[in-house]
Parts: sequence; C-alpha cells; structure tokens
Amino acid sequence: MAAERLYDSWAGRNAQWEIKYEDIIKTLCDYGKGESSLREARGKLFGAGYELYIMAFFIGLYFNQRKPLLADNTKRKGFGQPIQYWGNIESRMGRKAYPKIREYIFAALIARTDIDFIALEKGDVTLRKVVDMLIQTMEEYANCGFKFIKDKIEDDPNYFYKETAFLEVFLSFEANNQEELDEEPESLD
Amino acid sequence: MILKSIKIKNFRSYYGEKEFTFAKGLTLIIGDNGDGKTTFFEALEWLFDTVTDNKSEYNISEKRKSELNVGESDEVNVSLVFDHEGEMELEKKFRFEKTDSNAVLTRDYKFTGYDSTCSERVSRDGKQLLEACFDSVIRKYCMFKGESELNVFDNNTALKTLVDTFSNIRQFEDYVTLTEKFEKDSDAVVTKELRNDKKQAQKVKELEEKRTRNAIDIQNVRQDMRNQEQAISDYSTSIEKLEQNQEACEAYQDIKKRIEKKRADQSRFKAMSTLDYNAQLLDEYWILRSFPNVLMEFQKKISALSREKRKQDKAETERRAIEKGKKELADSLVGGATPLPWYVPDEGTMQEMIDEEICKVCGRPASKGSEAYNFMVNKLHEFLLQTQKKAEKSEEEKPYFSNNFIDELNRLSNQLGGWSQKEIVKLATDISDRLELIQNRKRDLDKATKDLQEAEDEKARLLIQTQGLSEDMLDKGFKDFKGMSERKNRAEIRLTELKHDMEDLEKIKSQIDSEFDAIEPSNGTVKLYQRVHSTLKYIMGSFINAKERNIDEFLTMLEKETNTYFEKLNENDFRGEVRIIKRADGSARIQLYSSNGTLISNPGGAQRTTMYMSVLFAISNITTLKREQDYPLIFDAPTSSFGEFKEEVFYNIIDNIDKQCIIVTKDLLEIDKDTKEKKLNQEKLNQLTCLVYQIYKAPNYSPLDLSTIQTQIIRIK
Repeated sequence: MAAERLYDSWAGRNAQWEIKYEDIIKTLCDYGKGESSLREARGKLFGAGYELYIMAFFIGLYFNQRKPLLADNTKRKGFGQPIQYWGNIESRMGRKAYPKIREYIFAALIARTDIDFIALEKGDVTLRKVVDMLIQTMEEYANCGFKFIKDKIEDDPNYFYKETAFLEVFLSFEANNQEELDEEPESLD
Repeated sequence: MILKSIKIKNFRSYYGEKEFTFAKGLTLIIGDNGDGKTTFFEALEWLFDTVTDNKSEYNISEKRKSELNVGESDEVNVSLVFDHEGEMELEKKFRFEKTDSNAVLTRDYKFTGYDSTCSERVSRDGKQLLEACFDSVIRKYCMFKGESELNVFDNNTALKTLVDTFSNIRQFEDYVTLTEKFEKDSDAVVTKELRNDKKQAQKVKELEEKRTRNAIDIQNVRQDMRNQEQAISDYSTSIEKLEQNQEACEAYQDIKKRIEKKRADQSRFKAMSTLDYNAQLLDEYWILRSFPNVLMEFQKKISALSREKRKQDKAETERRAIEKGKKELADSLVGGATPLPWYVPDEGTMQEMIDEEICKVCGRPASKGSEAYNFMVNKLHEFLLQTQKKAEKSEEEKPYFSNNFIDELNRLSNQLGGWSQKEIVKLATDISDRLELIQNRKRDLDKATKDLQEAEDEKARLLIQTQGLSEDMLDKGFKDFKGMSERKNRAEIRLTELKHDMEDLEKIKSQIDSEFDAIEPSNGTVKLYQRVHSTLKYIMGSFINAKERNIDEFLTMLEKETNTYFEKLNENDFRGEVRIIKRADGSARIQLYSSNGTLISNPGGAQRTTMYMSVLFAISNITTLKREQDYPLIFDAPTSSFGEFKEEVFYNIIDNIDKQCIIVTKDLLEIDKDTKEKKLNQEKLNQLTCLVYQIYKAPNYSPLDLSTIQTQIIRIK
C-alpha cells in the first residue's frame, strides 16, 4: 500500500464555511478581489480570505466551542486554495510566510477529534472517513469563530478596525498553564 | 510754529466737524484701537501732503457718504490754525457728490493758506505757506507714526540732511569750494609760468610728471578707500542688524535643532510603536499564544495511541507465536524420532513411487493397500497440504496494523515538541514584552510630539516677536554673521593699508609741492604768483578744517542735548549714555553706551524709544535755536513697548518739557473691573497738567458696517 500521509490527505482539502459570513470575509480580507497586494490601499485587515478563517478557527478552538455548519450544501462555500497553501504565499509588503500554522491546526484537530485511530491503523476505518471528521472539526471551530466575529461587528461595525482588536481577543484566552509546562513531557517512544 | 487748533470734517471716521485745540506743551489724544487715533494723525499727514492733490474717495466719511441722496454733496475739510510769527491757517478740502447709490464724485480740491500776520487776513497758496512755515525737512523730524519710525538716523544721508538743515555748516561748503578753486587756479598760473621759464623747464616737466602720477595714485587709492569704507559700512549695517537679532537668531537655531531632533525622534518612535498586530498574529504565530495546552493535549493523545498500538502489536505477536508452538507440538512423531521434512521427497518423486508401488527411499516394494503404500499416499497428501498451507500462511503473517498513521502523528508530535514547543510557550512572554515596549515607545512618541509642538509654538512666538524678520532670514543670519565679520575685518585691514599708502602718497605730494615751491623762478612776477598761491593754499586748509570742526561741534551739541532729554525720560531707571557716532562714510548712528564704555548693542524697546525721542527733542531744540522758531512734535502711538510704570513716568516728564508735543495713544486707558469696559485712568490723568482729549467710537455701531462708525471727541481736561 502506498504510504499515504494523513496530513497530506487533510491538507489537500478545502475547508468550508457558511455563505452568510462571506460579507465579513470580503470586508476584512482581500477575498474575492484578486491580487492581495492592495490590502493597505483598501484598508483591509487581512490578505487572503483564509487568514480570517484561521482567526475564526483559533477563536473557536480556544473557546473550545464547535458549531455544526448548515447541512445544506448550497449555503456553504470553500476558498480557492486548499489548506496546503495557507500561509505560504504572502506577497504583501512587510508580511512573511507562516506555513507552520497548518501543522498546528492539524495537531489541534487530531487532539480534538474523536477518531478511532487504532481502527484506522488496522484499516477498519477509511482514511477518507477520518479526514472528513478532521475537516468537520475544523469547520465547526471556525464556524463558531465566525459567529463570534459577526456578533462583534453587529454590535459595532468598526470593532475590528481598532488595530489591536483581534490581538485583544487572543490575549483574552489563557496563555498556558505554567505548571503543566514545567512537567516533564511524557515519554513519546 | 505752534499749532493752535485743528478742525477735521468728514475725514473718514471723523463724521461732521470735530475740533481739537492744542496746548503749548503736551496734548494727549487718548483712544482705543479703531477709535480714530491714526486717522487723526493721517488727517494731519493729508493736510501736510504737498506732493499730491489727493482727493481720494477713501478719505470720505462712510457715514456721511451713506447719508447723502443721489445728487447731494458735502465736503471733506481739514483746517489747521497755528502761530508762526502771527496767526496762520491752512485749509485743505474737496467736495464729494453722490452720483449713484454706490458712487461718489470728488471735485473742487483746494489747498489754501491764510496769513493774518498783517492787519488783514490774506489768502495764499497752501503749499507755499506750508513750505514757508513748516518745510518738509522739518516735518520729517516732527511727525512720527509708531515706534519704528523714530530712528531718524537709520539712513546714511540723515546726518548730512540734519547738518545742512539745522547748522550753519552749509555755508562752509561754499567757502571750501571757493578756496579750493582759488588754490587750483593760482597753482595753474604758477606752473604755467614756471614751464615757460627756460632755466627751470626741465625740472618743472619732471615735477609735473611726478605730480600727475602722484595725483593718479592718490585718486586710485582714494577710490579704493571709499570702496573699502563703503564695504565696511555695509557690513557694519548688516552685522548691526544681525547683532540686534543675534539673540533671536541663536534662539531660532536652538529651536530649529530641537525641532529637527524631535522630528527624528517622532518618526523613530512612530516606527517603533507601529505594528500590524493582525499580521503579527499570523506571521509571527502570535495566534499560538494559547496553543501550548492544545499542543500538550495532542502530544498526550498521540503518546497514548502510540502506546496502545505497540501494546496491541505485541499481544498479537505473542498470540501468533503461541499458535505456531502448538502446531509444532502436534506435528512431532511417536518415539521422538524426527520425521523427514514434509517436502522430502518432492511431489513428483512421491507420485512416481505411488504409481510404481515401490518405496524408492528404502528400495522395498509397497504394493497398493500395504502400510508402506498408504504412508506414501499420506506423505503426498501432506505435501500438498503443506504447499497449500504455505500459501495460506503468507496471508496469515501479514502485519496486524496495515497502516502507519500513528507513527506519522508521532513524528509530527516529536517535531512540534522540543525547541518548537519552547518557542510557542515563550510567545506569551514575548508578546507581553513587545506590547510593553510598544507602550513605552508610544509614551516616548507622545512626549516627542508634545515637545515638537512646544518647539513649533516657541518658533511661532519667536517669529512674532521678531516681526519683519522671516524665518529664512533668522536661519541665514546666523550663518552670515561669521562670514560678514570676516569680510568686514578684511576690508578694515585693507583700509588701514590704504591709509598708509595714502599717507605715503601725501608725503610724496607735499614733497613735490615743496620741490615746486623750491624752484627759483627767474622772473620776479612768478615769485609773487608763487607766494599768492601758498597763501591761498593755506586759506583753503583752514576752511576744510573749520568745516570738520563744525560738524563735530554740532554732533557734540546734539549729543549733549539728547542726553539731557534721555536722562529726563529715564528718570529712576538705568539709561546709559547716548552717543552719536560719525562714521567714515559721513553718516551717523545713534548708539547707547554704558558708562564704562560698553556698547549696548540691543537696547530694550522702551530704552530704544526714549533714546530716539531724546534725539528728536534735541533736534527740535536745536531747530528752535537756529531758526528762532518752535516746532511741534507729533507722535502716533510711540510708546507701545512701554510697561505701565514706564508709561506713567514718561507722560509725567513729557508733560513738563517745554515743547509742543501732541501724542495720540491708547495709554492711560484701563479696563473697568465692574463694567469690563475701557475707561480712562483718572488717577494717572490727575497727575498730568496737559490738555487731554478722549476719542471713541460713537455707540451703537455695527461691527460689520463701516458707515456706522464715527469718532466722537471729548475734552477731558
């Protein structure tokens, strides 16, 4: 059997989001407008649409709240770029690529998705099924994050135009438990 | 000339006819801004204007103009009554007629004088009468608008004008010119005669050549000296101006440097405190600040999975080993003998032995149905079974876990652990450090912005204080100062050299002259000519010396008079001493010196004003002396740089000076604490003995409509 990697199968996918958030993505990102080099000129906070998706995902993740997407496929949409390109191309001035973010997202999905990996190892569960579950987790976290963002904007349309708005959201989450960190990590072999 | 009264009719804010009478001493006309002070002064200026026949519509009272119906007319009229060896009057007027709702026509300009010195009043040309009684040169020293016009020595010809006007030196000029001509003519006669003297002709020719050369040299050196003197004078004027503003220039430089530094600070701090936080969240992985817990969750999960997988794998391996052992046990022979392997002999051999009913292993026959025959059949059967089993077994030994995803995840877990993990953990501290740093820089930025604003304000204030000097001049002035001083020094050195050259040339000249004088003419008449020439030369020298001495004496007198007034005007205050310095180019400058001889290069506003006023009083006194006539001094707001105390002292002194003085001012006004309106300071006024008028805008005027403005006058005392 070809040594197919779980990560690659996941990264080859397109994460979906509910179309009702499209306006927000268009407002805050260069999404749907072609080249991203004009972000500054357009007063956009982010470049590609997936940047806001990453924000939304981590917001959902840190809140540890998932929100299933509408089942209706016509009410969902994906980005043009599969996950494997996220954070790769950043042509805008002063920005740099951040490809490792994908691995962290992936790790979070593995940690937070209830998958029978033993069954997967045995071949009792298909890879496709597992990747579906990972993508679902991802979409549900992001969906929750998008709702959070939309609520904020509904309260105050300029909320995220404060330069530290997103940072403040992320600063509000507990950073890490120092005690746990000081613990000797469990042996991994 | 003593002014007695003035009537001003329909002249700008002076609506209708207003009359002021003047005291022999001080008359004060007090009013606030816009009340008509300067208009009063300008009405006088208009009256005294002998250059143009100005009947400008601009001088007509807007109020009067607005009242007229089309076709109606009225007049603007300013008339002055004064004493000048008898009563005189000057009247200037023109008519204006409304031709349209917005237009007026001015006509019938008249400037008339009336002379009442004889028994009857005689009408004369106004211009002539004015020039006869109060000529333009004297007017120049009598009327001053604001503080800045007070320095009458601010131009190079001032001293000459002054000397020409107020001293008798002018007559000397004619004598000097005359004696110079005599000397020259007599010299020409002597030289001509000597040239004709055959005995001396050669000698005269040589001397004449020498004299011509010498004259050319002297002319050149003199021209050069004049140039250098002019240069020194120009540099001095510039340096003086710079010196006056040196403090301002230095302050400007200081502010400029501060502004530059603060600007740099500002942009540096701005750069340091500006951060694209959204980009930072992604590009610098700040978004992972809270990730360590999730990462640990992941690591724990993978670690557990990995353990579970190994556990299951191990269990399976053990199970398989046990299976295998059981099988081997079942297959062993009775008696413990080891059977041949199942694959010996092979399938073909076995089939052949069965077909031939012979055991080719032991060479004995094995007929069908015999034990040996059955053994062989079994053996073949087992072979086939084993072959089949082998195929089955390879399937059975397939790994228990067909996939390696957990290993992949384990590798990822290792990859995200260790150093990478530490980086993520450190993020929280890094972010907080960075934010603190930005906060500090923002504070620095705020401070720099505030400082910059302060410096800019300071610059604006400085520019207001040094009115008339542009920012560029302040900036350039500082740089020019050094170069200018150096150039002036060079010119001075050159001038000294030229003076030496000139001395040498003069020596040569007098030597040539002596040699000329020493020539013994053969003719007795020529000898007489020679003597006449010597005498005329002597007389010429005397006149030149006398002229110089007279100028010096005039200046000494002026200086003495000036200091008398200066002392009075600065009673109980530091004053120093005014000196009127005659310069190489024939001009003069008023300068203030401390008693120890130090030049006070930049006297304060009040000091400067009193200094210039003292000079004016002195000039006026000298005029009185020389012309046997008094002249008034008229000032428009001369004391704006005075403090309240200085102001009070100033008026008390002026009040007691025996000189007609008319001062238009807003001094002595104060704000009433109760009504918040301006009113006269009665207490201060009571100390004065002079004539005081108050002028003010008639109430109920519209701040936007000029035609509602009219000046009212009241005589206060």
